[in-house]
Amino acid sequence: MAVSTGVKVPRNFRLLEELEEGQKGVGDGTVSWGLEDDEDMTLTRWTGMIIGPPRTNYENRIYSLKVECGPKYPEVPPSVRFVTKINMNGINNSSGMVDARSIPVLAKWQNSYSIKVVLQELRRLMMSKENMKLPQPPEGQTYNN
Amino acid sequence: MAENGESSGPPRPSRGPAAAQGPASAPAEPKIIKVTVKTPKEKEEFAVPENSSVQQFKEAISKRFKSQTDQLVLIFAGKILKDQDTLIQHGIHDGLTVHLVIKSQNRPQGQSTQPSNAAGTNTTSASTPRSNSTSVSTNSNPFGLGSLGGLAGLSSLGLSSTNFSELQNQMQQQLLSSPEMMIQIMENPFVQSMLSNPDLMRQLIMANPQMQQLIQRNPEISHLLNNPDIMRQTLEIARNPAMMQEMMRNQDLALSNLESIPGGYNALRRMYTDIQEPMLNAAQEQFGGNPFASVGSSSTSGEGTQPSRTENRDPLPNPWAPPPATQSSATTSTTTSSGSGSGSSSSSATGNTVAAANYVASIFSTPGMQSLLQQITENPQLIQNMLSAPYMRSMMQSLSQNPDLAAQMMLNSPMQNPDTLSAMSNPRAMQALMQIQQGLQTLATEAPGLIPSFTPGPIGPIGPTGPGSTGSGGPPGPTVSSSTPSETTSPTSESGPNQQFIQQMVQALAGASPPQLPNPEVRFQQQLEQLNAMGFLNREANLQALIATGGDINAAIERLLGSQPS
Repeated sequence: MAVSTGVKVPRNFRLLEELEEGQKGVGDGTVSWGLEDDEDMTLTRWTGMIIGPPRTNYENRIYSLKVECGPKYPEVPPSVRFVTKINMNGINNSSGMVDARSIPVLAKWQNSYSIKVVLQELRRLMMSKENMKLPQPPEGQTYNN
Repeated sequence: MAENGESSGPPRPSRGPAAAQGPASAPAEPKIIKVTVKTPKEKEEFAVPENSSVQQFKEAISKRFKSQTDQLVLIFAGKILKDQDTLIQHGIHDGLTVHLVIKSQNRPQGQSTQPSNAAGTNTTSASTPRSNSTSVSTNSNPFGLGSLGGLAGLSSLGLSSTNFSELQNQMQQQLLSSPEMMIQIMENPFVQSMLSNPDLMRQLIMANPQMQQLIQRNPEISHLLNNPDIMRQTLEIARNPAMMQEMMRNQDLALSNLESIPGGYNALRRMYTDIQEPMLNAAQEQFGGNPFASVGSSSTSGEGTQPSRTENRDPLPNPWAPPPATQSSATTSTTTSSGSGSGSSSSSATGNTVAAANYVASIFSTPGMQSLLQQITENPQLIQNMLSAPYMRSMMQSLSQNPDLAAQMMLNSPMQNPDTLSAMSNPRAMQALMQIQQGLQTLATEAPGLIPSFTPGPIGPIGPTGPGSTGSGGPPGPTVSSSTPSETTSPTSESGPNQQFIQQMVQALAGASPPQLPNPEVRFQQQLEQLNAMGFLNREANLQALIATGGDINAAIERLLGSQPS
């Protein structure tokens, strides 16, 4: 991953690294991410996937997300939005936007964090007491924007 | 990646000679690429031609992962791969990893093409009935499971011989045709007190191998069982038939609402085939099959053709009717749609109460029990006295822990032994038994050392007898001490399991005063140590949590974490 000794890795390099990791399936296989459009030269628009953790109301579901890494990434956190409907604290119920202030990783962003970290954190939050038993909309629904 | 700047369609493989060809046409030599498929649990490598479609890829995978292609969901770089796409389209090259999710529930083939449509129309209108029905269904489902599993645990003990199943069917019909008997049984405080012990119920449920199979297939069921609140709630409902009827009515109403929504029927049918059918089939194997099987199978055999959208007005088969009867039933066999996660594992209360009723019947269907039933109806007080003795509790426990033993006992059908039958029907004999039990209890307090050696001796001459007559083992007194040493060895030649069982019985008889379960601290010693090691230092709280969850460490941890401010 990126060197964290104070060297600032250029944005595109970082994102290319993340792309490669996403394709190689680094991690435990419960989250996945990749470029939304393979032709996107700016590497801005990404899609992510989270597999609902077991023993929660999200179990067995696959959540699709859109992640947007702006020009200042990785100095500023990406904006994250759920595409699949979900009922969870910190996610706007009608648009699926993830509220950056309520997700710790986004609120206290560091440039060593990555898309993978964000997705894994969201998955971890699904397992928290306050979220795991929230009633969920039926599977397959998406937000309309 | 940065070199493939051409904007004509999806990126092409970076191979020299074939690069000029369009992406749709197959290259001259399809290169075999190695793709790793990763699930949360395992990882496998697959060699497939580069130009294969996702569908072909799934077929290759399905063999190795032992699932159907319908159940496989492939994800690459954050996107779900659809069957008609190609691997190239998504940029899957040699050496890359694709994520796999295996859905545990089968979806009927007609569903795969229109999941979003059906779900979309379901949203608003279905949300209100669902919010009612989920609370109903989570209650009703575990009730069905509770009495089904709990009593099934007992009945499965007696199901080891084929003769029994025939007898059962007959007796079941007889029992079901006499509702007063049922009512009396349910009102019997012993039954009620048994139902009110969630630990016991859960043990019994878990002991049933069919339940274990169901639990493997549907993990939500095990969550439900492990949640003590739900268990208690449902056991309360089990004791209160009026509440049960109320709930069933609510659920039926909710179901018919759901059915009339466009697309709702599909969801209902899907839920039925996913969840309830295996349960009904498993639960009702002994009872002549799933009464709703024909209803369901006729529609699924038509390969995904949509059943008509009008409400089904034909009378559905009556799950409670004896086979030849043709009464119409007002209940439906479909289940509620998947609201919450726990709701999605629900099956209809009707289906399960059918099974529950059947299982209640099956217990009492052995001929011996039938005569016992007559006693119950004739003189409830007498039986209550006998059954409320604490040793029955431990008999139940030892029954549940050692099903083989009890199966043997049932087989030998001590109740059929005319001696014991007549003894049981003779109220004076019953009173004498009670006296003996009290005598044993006094013995236990006065001279506890005598009891274990006291046990085997007098049983020998009596032979394999039921629990009631074990108390009739010889008179306590001075003769015991002299006869026991010599007789201790003789009964060991008796049939092993019976002997052990009877020993347990009498020990329980004599040991009625000490607590029935070993001290919870002792029981949970191992779990307490584990919790301590994990950092939960509050022993009191740990113990409470373990008691509440019956020894399940994971659930106890969650309880402990829940009590702390999050």
